[in-house]
Amino acid sequence: MNCTDCAPLLHAYVDGELDLVRHLEVEGHLKACPACRARAEAIVALRSRVRDAVPRFTASAELRTSIRASLQAWVPPVERAKVARFPGQRWNLALVAASLAVALFLGNAWGEHRAQSRLVVNEAFAEHVRSLQANHLEDVVSTDRHTVKPWFEGKVDFAPPVIDLADVGFPLAGGRLDQIDGHNAAALVFRRKLHVINLFVWAAGDSIRLPDTASEKGYNAQAWTHGGLHFLAVSEIPASDLDSFAREYRRRSE
Amino acid sequence: MEASVPTETSTFEQLMLPHLDSAYNLACWLLRNPHDAEDAVQDASIRAIRAFGSFRGSEGRAWFLTIVRNVCYSRLRQGKRDPKEVAFEEELHGTPDDAAEANAQSWREAKADLLRVALEGLPREYREVIVLHDVEGLSYREIATVADIPLGTVMSRLARGRSRLQRDITALGRDPRP
Repeated sequence: MNCTDCAPLLHAYVDGELDLVRHLEVEGHLKACPACRARAEAIVALRSRVRDAVPRFTASAELRTSIRASLQAWVPPVERAKVARFPGQRWNLALVAASLAVALFLGNAWGEHRAQSRLVVNEAFAEHVRSLQANHLEDVVSTDRHTVKPWFEGKVDFAPPVIDLADVGFPLAGGRLDQIDGHNAAALVFRRKLHVINLFVWAAGDSIRLPDTASEKGYNAQAWTHGGLHFLAVSEIPASDLDSFAREYRRRSE
Repeated sequence: MEASVPTETSTFEQLMLPHLDSAYNLACWLLRNPHDAEDAVQDASIRAIRAFGSFRGSEGRAWFLTIVRNVCYSRLRQGKRDPKEVAFEEELHGTPDDAAEANAQSWREAKADLLRVALEGLPREYREVIVLHDVEGLSYREIATVADIPLGTVMSRLARGRSRLQRDITALGRDPRP
């Protein structure tokens, strides 16, 4: 592991959120690299400072009492059918409905706001890194596209083209559900020797324009849109290899 | 769902009320105003009580905080005024609400500190992951549930948020505000 690989994992490392293999890899690197070690120590120091110095506001006795009162006043649905509604109850319900409506609206607006291609690609990079952690890579493990394809049915509202590219050196390893830009995405997992390619596929319901290629911290991405679906391939393999993967996948699926 | 009805209120009290401080703290840091936070937690509790039938019995704190967060975001979207302005007005004119006065007081004291000013000034999506992780002690997985984002995004937001916080603390320390 080098500093570039180590950097995105450092916070999760000091928080004890990495799987054992990655944890040991980062630990090994830190033993050898004073610069990254200093970075890790700075993160720990800041975290302790936040923990110790940031006030934790606590609920007042009045708030507690008032919530207990709401709890006492709450009539469970089965009983509510039997009792006449009174205005307070109705008002609360209206409030709940209003908050729900606003939450939904907010969710949508937020999704749109984030639908900037750069953020989407960054998210895909983050998802790729996450998928490399233990137990995150595949929800369905299979090299058989006839197992992987039906697995997505009912989980996403589109049919991602599932193709095995083993004959050209990109064997299908499985798939999992993921989220990209707030949309349910199918993540198809392919292997390239010891490396992993995540191909995120999601419904292109919006007008976002993904960059054709991108790279960051040693990861490469390639994106295209076809048949109402966005495709975003992410991997640590060289951009030229990823390009041949994308070309081969497109040739067989389009 | 009906089967759980006879014990619903007592179970809610046992499972959710222990997280009331976490809920209030999150609301304070999201809304940056103790009065709004009280209202939001009150609203969220009513919603939680009503939705309790759909609670599946695991990760109670994350479940409750998800509702609190949604209510806070709704309020932020509804409110036209900048929460900072509200807090400022109240500092000038005092508040008629004795119940919240203690909280308002601690909020004002909190603002004196550089770190707290920096955290309060962070963009909301960074502020919330730092508060949830470093102050409330939630795991990445719980934060992913509460903020409705993938685990990888929790990781990257926490990393970026902390970097920005560090940078802002340094900047504030060098160039104190009037």
